[in-house]
Order: sequence, then structure tokens, then C-alpha cells
Amino acid sequence: MSCQNCLNNIDDERRAVAKRVDAIIERVGRTREMTIPLLQALQEEFSYLPSDALERVYERTEITRANLISVATFYSQFKLIPYGKHTIKVCIGTACHVKGAGAVYDAFRRELDIAEDSVTTADGKYSVEKIACLGCCALAPVVQIDEQIYGHVQPGRVKAVLEEHEEFLKSAPKGADDENGEVTYVGEVRLGMENCCQVSGTAEIYKAVMKAQHELGVAVRIKPISCVGACNQVPLIDVVDSTGEITRYPNVRAEEIKEILLHHFPAASPLKRLKNAVLNQIDMLHTDQTWDNILYKPEKERTGEINTFLDHQVRISTEGYGHINPLDLDEYRAHGGFEALEKVIKSGDRDALINDVLASGIRGRGGGGFPSGRKWQLVAAAKGDKKYVICNGDEGDPGAFMDRILLESYPLRVIEGMLIAAYAVGAQKGIFYIRAEYPQAVIRITKALDMCRRQGLLGENIFGSDFSFEIEVFKGAGAFVCGEETALIGSIEGKRGFPSQRPPYPAEQGLFGCPTLINNVETLSQIPYIIRRGVEEYRKVGTEKSKGTKVFALAGKVRHGGLIEVPMGTTIRQIVEQIGGGVEGGERLKAVQTGGPSGGCIPAELCDTEVDFDALNRLGAIMGSGGMVVLSESDCMVDVARYFLNFTSEESCGKCTFCRVGIHRMLEILDRLCAGKGQEGDIERLEELALAVKRSALCGLGNTAPNPVLATIKYFREEYEEHVKGYCRTGTCKDMVKYVVTDACIGCTRCAKVCPVEAIEYKPYEIHAIDTDKCTMCGLCITECEFDAIKKMPLKTL
Amino acid sequence: MKITIDNKEITVIEGETILEAARRNGIEIPSMCYAEGKRHQAGCMVCTVKELKSGRMLTSCSTKPTEGMEIDTSSEEVIRQRTMALELLLSDHRADCEAPCSMVCTHKLDVEQMLAAYDRGDYAQAQAIIRRDFGDKIACDDCKAPCEKACRRGTVDKAVAIRDIIREVAAMEVEEVKPVASIAKLGKDIFFSRVGIFNQKEKDYLRQTTTTPSRCLHCACEGREACRLRRYSTDYGIKRSRYGLSSKLPVKLRIDVSERLGFEPAKCIRCGLCVYNTENGFTFLRRGFDMQVIIPEQNMANAYDELAEICPTGALFIKK
Repeated sequence: MSCQNCLNNIDDERRAVAKRVDAIIERVGRTREMTIPLLQALQEEFSYLPSDALERVYERTEITRANLISVATFYSQFKLIPYGKHTIKVCIGTACHVKGAGAVYDAFRRELDIAEDSVTTADGKYSVEKIACLGCCALAPVVQIDEQIYGHVQPGRVKAVLEEHEEFLKSAPKGADDENGEVTYVGEVRLGMENCCQVSGTAEIYKAVMKAQHELGVAVRIKPISCVGACNQVPLIDVVDSTGEITRYPNVRAEEIKEILLHHFPAASPLKRLKNAVLNQIDMLHTDQTWDNILYKPEKERTGEINTFLDHQVRISTEGYGHINPLDLDEYRAHGGFEALEKVIKSGDRDALINDVLASGIRGRGGGGFPSGRKWQLVAAAKGDKKYVICNGDEGDPGAFMDRILLESYPLRVIEGMLIAAYAVGAQKGIFYIRAEYPQAVIRITKALDMCRRQGLLGENIFGSDFSFEIEVFKGAGAFVCGEETALIGSIEGKRGFPSQRPPYPAEQGLFGCPTLINNVETLSQIPYIIRRGVEEYRKVGTEKSKGTKVFALAGKVRHGGLIEVPMGTTIRQIVEQIGGGVEGGERLKAVQTGGPSGGCIPAELCDTEVDFDALNRLGAIMGSGGMVVLSESDCMVDVARYFLNFTSEESCGKCTFCRVGIHRMLEILDRLCAGKGQEGDIERLEELALAVKRSALCGLGNTAPNPVLATIKYFREEYEEHVKGYCRTGTCKDMVKYVVTDACIGCTRCAKVCPVEAIEYKPYEIHAIDTDKCTMCGLCITECEFDAIKKMPLKTL
Repeated sequence: MKITIDNKEITVIEGETILEAARRNGIEIPSMCYAEGKRHQAGCMVCTVKELKSGRMLTSCSTKPTEGMEIDTSSEEVIRQRTMALELLLSDHRADCEAPCSMVCTHKLDVEQMLAAYDRGDYAQAQAIIRRDFGDKIACDDCKAPCEKACRRGTVDKAVAIRDIIREVAAMEVEEVKPVASIAKLGKDIFFSRVGIFNQKEKDYLRQTTTTPSRCLHCACEGREACRLRRYSTDYGIKRSRYGLSSKLPVKLRIDVSERLGFEPAKCIRCGLCVYNTENGFTFLRRGFDMQVIIPEQNMANAYDELAEICPTGALFIKK
């Protein structure tokens, strides 16, 4: 017999869950379209989707069991099993992958001692999962723990990162936005506040600036600014002194802040000055650091290179980089913001507006390159009382983070672009579709929308006209396929992200059957410029058939990664060499991957190709949304192809046979090749399947998924042939190599100490040896060895 | 509206798809995921045709023609794409069309059906099947029993003692009945599945779950007669899929959806017809290669027997 107390407890618990669920349903809604927001809210509340909670949803909403199961299991954001208190998300985006994200994931599992069939520690504290891309590619490998992002996490740093996070958890962070009355500012410190910068510790810098101000008795305005794009030089601050002169400090450290401030702003009073002189002495004694040791130098002295990084760029989407506060509407307007909107509304000529966009030659930046003006025409011509504009910010490609930065740093510009588009096509409602992995972007856009609403730029009768428009934000739930416009629409309607047959195109029958304009973030961000500066001005930039600029997320094996904006027609080599500063570590360039999982690889010898929609298509690569991952000679091209196919295979929606089964079969062949178990004819089988999938899959995801395979076979066939024979020239494919210690070993024992699986015996002053049976090839010993004595040795020779 | 299909000009009725127009004019286009008059979404890709002007491959079951369209349904290229689609479907389908015991019996005894009757305790029917296929003489005495050698139960633990059961049934005193119609034996050209091999986990599962008196696994597919995958595979000359058999589908799991309707997920090709044509009944689970069609127990009342007719394979079947 069950104890009555226990039964009561269970009942109580159930009732408590039901109460929490009811409150959420009340807040979010009970219609079928609300399925995804509702599940997101439930997951936020319970940290997973408990079955009791779901039962309550069936009882209380329109959402049926069949519908809910199909949606909840489709999107990767939703968890149906309880997760640990803290979730560690290891980014396995392209940039992170080529920098060893797999080993980082393994290292976390090992460090936390997670059982093989689980993702959560025994005490339920941490869960570890792989995540498609966090969009912080310049800081690869990247890991996110809860909301905190950690950059440059090599397997050896895993322990330190966990300790750091423990520290962070102890020191409950509090909001630092306390303004105290009227202050006279002597200058300004500008601080990058988007994701990359925050990752690298802007928060620390912020604290240091606050502290230094107090100690020096000076008041400087701390101004959060948009991304400068030099994401590998972060944290980065600009100091504006009383004369208005700007000095930029890349890679600053918290301990340098006080010195920097002191350099620009003399302490307020003689007493403070004296006190600081003394304090400095004391500091020196304490830390054993002399003035010279502290790495404070203005950027020109320090790197000299950051300017080349910035010099070759042209700014349209990222206009105002580095001095515009993302969320300062007045400042945006002072720089010409919303002039374009005002102009088009005042003129009232919608046809002229559309013709301007058409004449500008701008093509959709989401990857397809369809003329945007044409799309606008179609939606404007479509009949319907209700029309929608959707901004597609579902940037799912691993290795791409352009949309994230545009949304985080220039939210107002994207909003203005959307308003102009809405005005042109006669829409009443706009939706920002932003992927869930970009919480910062969601926050920024939401705040920016509120500001616009307050200034009457959104809502009823904008600029006193009869144009009324409202915008809301929809958070994606983790499905790459939702970048495809029909799948995206399905997802907003609360369904699985299944693409649907086109025609009818969304321009005729889109969201809820209404004509819908879907433009990419970057496309919309270029619109205000076209209107404000004029079509001719815009057409001056770019090539014959591709106009304007293109924003790229430059990452991978490049010295200076980051967000860049270049005119169309810039060559790939210019981007890598001049802006990116060449391949890192002095290696040779092997290829540049563009277009992510839908794109291809451009081999080094073809890197003089210009960035242009058609030129890239001809090479079998595509412009894509703008991820650009630089690969060096130590990257295995078969592994790169397998990496992308693994991604598309996981992201395939499963609707059509070619994509669901075909890509999986291709992946099996590639897995086999990378495991050294290739068979004669595998390359031909792979090609046959790839061509069939490309030809017949239902949507863009399937049609383009074979591209990475076809392009690497086209340019690097010999590497495939080597793999069939069981040889990987780069040693990337673990099953084909072993680690060996060479004669260069001096017996320093560092490898033995660092090895997590005790595969190296501790033998001071002797040449060490690796037990290949135990070795997991995590690579820690190779990075640790200062004598370059550990090598990857192929098991087979050709 | 006029279009041409394989150079033949035909008139299209408003609202019709290419597939419907073609079939109405006697041009056969194969299709798995389409069922006349039912809700469907293109997915199987077996109905692929080529539009000659643009060179695009289209799913004829969901594409509405436009004026002057030129459709090719029979060129080598189209056939190749369809064949590939069928092969890919087969590679992820536990195509156990026939029970191996029946296939090897020198007297063509429908062993499986006989054992099914035996397992139900319907000895009269079991005996009737034996008499129908053997005549009056029990043929087992001089036979080396290839049926028992082929029996897949043998790969799990021990083969079913088929001959002993035959003798036992034959010796029983039962009232005479008419045997149920036998499944038409198919010619040599018909697609026969390559019987898959059970892995250890499946063997354990089968050992624990198969509790019928004969211990027969009932390998054969319940819906083979109507199975379009089998028919088209035969038409396209496919003997077996060239692509690996790494199906994650559960072996031998048969779910009782209703009194009459049975569901065997391992035979499902995920066309979604049952999902689109039930209200809160069948549903998709997960996505991509891991996608499955399931029916939660609470939804079973919303399924109906006619679903077995629209299911293109034997995944949904009327229980015998």
C-alpha cells in the first residue's frame, strides 16, 4: 500500500506544476501558432519540458498532442529530459571545428567525469552539449556556460574555464548601471558591448574603468558601442580625451585600465595625484610589475596591423562602426538615421521607391542572390488586405555571425530598412525571426523597437502619414532549415520547419496565407543607405552584376578574424592577406570555405577570384550568407566535407527522400573514408549520390548540401584517393594516425603531466613514449610540448 | 490549359496536378506519398518528372502545370532519379517481404501463414493450409527441412521445429474448413528483399518478446500484396539497394492501433500520409534521418482502418 503522505506530495507537486504552466499559458497564449513561444517559455521555466507540464498544455490549449510532439522533437532547442543546473554548450561551428572543438567537448566530458550514455554529471550540476554555432567564430574554440561565453577554450584550458565559471557563480553579478546625478565628464571611454567583446571580458574592463574613475577622482562617460569588427583584438576600448582625440587600445586588460586613464586624464586634485603616485608604488611592490611591464600601448604602437584590418573595408551595413551606440536612437538619427524612411514616406511614391531599389542592383544577402527589388515588386503587386515583412535572422550556418553582429550593433538600421520595405510593399506587420542562440540580438532588437515606438517611428501614422506598422520578435528554436523561407513561415505558424512546395511563393501566399516579403538582415541594413545616399552612389560600389558591399564573418586559420565589410569585387586573396593578415601560424593557405554547409571550398590557386555572386557560383562555391572560413595546409579536406555533411544530415528536416536518406548515405561513405575504411569506388558512389541529391532534393538545404562534397572532390580529389587507401596527409583523421614522441624529446615530463588518460609514462630526462592503446589523441601533449617533439604519424604510407 | 507529357499534348483540368493529369490520360507515373483525394505533401520523390524548358526536376504529385509546360516522364535521366529514390527508400526499410521458410519450401507450403493459424489456436485453419499445399501426404518425412535451416529464429536462438508442428497439426482431429486464400506466389522477377540480419540488441528483444506457441517470428510483411515499394522496385528492376542497410527502425515491432489496424514502424517510409490524414492521430517524431512516424497511445482512437489502404507499404495493415 502506498503511503498517503507520498501520494499527497505527488499530487501537490503536480498541482504546483499545473499552476506554473497555467500562468505561462495565460501570458503566452493558447492558440496553435503559439506552440513554439509556449514551449520556449515552458523550457525557460523548468529548464526542460516535463511530461506533466506538457499534459497540462494538451488540457488547456488548442495545441494537440500530435502537433506538440512533432514540434517539440523537431527543434533542437527543446529538451525532453532533465538537464543539469548549468549547461555547457560547446560550439562546433566551422571555425571551432577546425580549431579542435571536438577535443574540447571530449575534454569537458572527461573533466566532469560524465558517464558514456549521459550528458549530465552524476550530481546533476552540469550538462554538456554540442551546439551548431554560437557565432563567435573569431574567438574559436568557444564555449558557453549558461549565459556566459568563454573564448579560446583549448582542451588544456577546460579546467580553468570551469573554475572561472565557479568563481563567476559565487560572485553574483549585479547591474552596473548606476548613474549618480550631475557629473562633469572629462572624456569618454568607448567599450565594445556585443558578444565577442563581452566574451573576452568587457565586463571586467567595465568594472576596472568604474574602479579607476573612483580612485582617480575623474569622471569619464562610459559608452557602449557597436562592434568594430576587429573581433580578435578584443577587448578593445577607445578613449576620447577632453580635446576629442581618440586613442584605441586593442587587447586591453583590466589591470591596465587605470594606467590608461591616468595617461589621458590627470587625477582630479593634487592630493589624489599624490595618493595615486604612492599607490602606484605600492602596486608595483605588490605585483612585482614595473611600469614598463604593463602592456599599455596605443594600438599603433602595439600592433600596427589593426588599421590594415580596417582600412580596406567599405561601410554600408556597418556604417558608423565603433562610434555608434547600438541603442542610442538620438545618436543614430543625428547620423542620418531614419532620414531615408522620412524621405520615402514624405514623397509617398511607392513605385519610385521600389524602382530605386531595383535600380540599385542590390541582391538578397541571405545566399540566393535574388534581386531584392524584384521581390519587393512581387509582394507589392500581390493582392491581399494583410501583408507581412519578415526579417530573416535565422543565421544557422556554422561559421557565420554577420547577422548576429548587425542585429546587435546596428538594430536601428535594420529596423529602418524593414520599415522602408514595409512601406514599399504596403505591409502592416513585421516579424524579426532571430535564432534562439542569439539572446543578445533578441534583447537589443526588442529594446530598439521600444525606443522607436516611443518616438513614433513605429505604430500608428508614422511621420504623420497614413502608414502604420508594428513589429514583433519571434525567437527561432534551433533548426537550420528554417533559414529557408517556407520552413521559416511554417515555424512562425507553430509547425515543424518543413519547407513547402514553391510556387506559390511567399510573395503571393506566405505567412498565414498572406503575401509576405522575406529579406535577410544584411539586405535590410543596406536599404537606408541606398535611399539616403542615392542609387548612383550605391551603384558605384561593387561589380557589374553584384552591387554594394558584402559583410563577411572572417574566421578559421586567419590571423585577424572578425566581421568585415568589403565592396563586391574584392578578391578573396585581398580579404585573407590584407584584411585578415594572412594565415595564422605562418602556414600556407590551402583553401577558403565560403557559404558554410551550402557552399564550397575555393582552393588557394583560385583565390584571386572576386567576391561576386556569379563568380563564386561558377567555382562551385556560393556567396552564401557570408561565412568565410580560412583553411590552412594542416586542414584535411575530406574531414571538412564530412564536417559539413554531418551538419546538414543533422539539420535535414526529413521530409524528402534525397535529403533524409541520401545525405545520410553520403555521410556514411565519408565516415568510412575518414575512419580509414574506405572502399574502392567510394568516391564515385559519393559523386553519384551527391549529384542526385543536388538535382532532386525539395528545398535549398538539400539542393546545396552536396556542394561541400562536390567542391572538395573537384579541387582535392587526390586527398580523397589517399583516404581510400587509408592515408590522411594532415593527420586530422584520427583513425589513420598515431601520436609518437620523436628524438627531439628532452624528457621535460610536461606531456606526461598533461595527458588526461595517462598514456605517457613519467620519465624525467628520458625520451617519453606514448601508449597508443590509451591515447585518445586529444592533442594536449602536442600543444604542451615546447620542443615540437610529438608528431602525428600516419599508420599507413602510400 | 494545354501541356505536353512525353510529347503527347493533353488538356489539364483546373486544379489538377501533373501526376493527376498524366494518370487521367493513361500515362503512369509511380508515386508513394500520394493518395487520390487525400491530403499529402511531396516527399518520396518517386514521382519525379523533368520539365524540359527549365531542365528542373519536379515532384509531379504536387506541381500544378502551367500553360505550355513540357514534361518528360520516361527519359533515362528521370528513370535514374526515380530508381535512386527507390533504392534510398529501400535502404532504410526492413523489406522482409517474404518469410524465408516459405520461400525455400520445396512444396511451396505457406509455412508462415500456417504457423500464424497455429499460434492463434486455429488448428482447423492450420490443417487446411497444410492440406491445400501438400495434398494428402505429409511431404516432410523425406525432406531435409530447408525451412528450418532458413528459419530466422535460428539466428536468434533455435529454429522453430516446423516439421514437428506440421506433423502435430496434421494428426489433429479438427472439423474441416476452407483454407484462406493463399498469397499469390510471385514470379521470379519480383523484388525480393534481402533478409536483414538481426543485431544483438534485436536478438535479445526478440527472444524476450516472442511468446507465441510456435515461437515463430512471423518474418513476412503483412502488407506485401499492396506494397507499392515492392511493385515499383520490381518495375524498375531493382534487386536490392546498393546503399548500406543501417536502418534505425525497430525490428519486428507491431503495434495494435485498433482492433483491426496494425502498425509496423520498420516498414514505414515516412511519407506522412497517415499523419496528414488523421486529426491528432499519427505524428512525426524528431527530424532528418532519425525522423519516425509514431502514434501516441492516447491518439489511437483517432486512427481508422482505411489508413491501411492509403499507406504505400505494409507499415499500416489490416490484421489477419
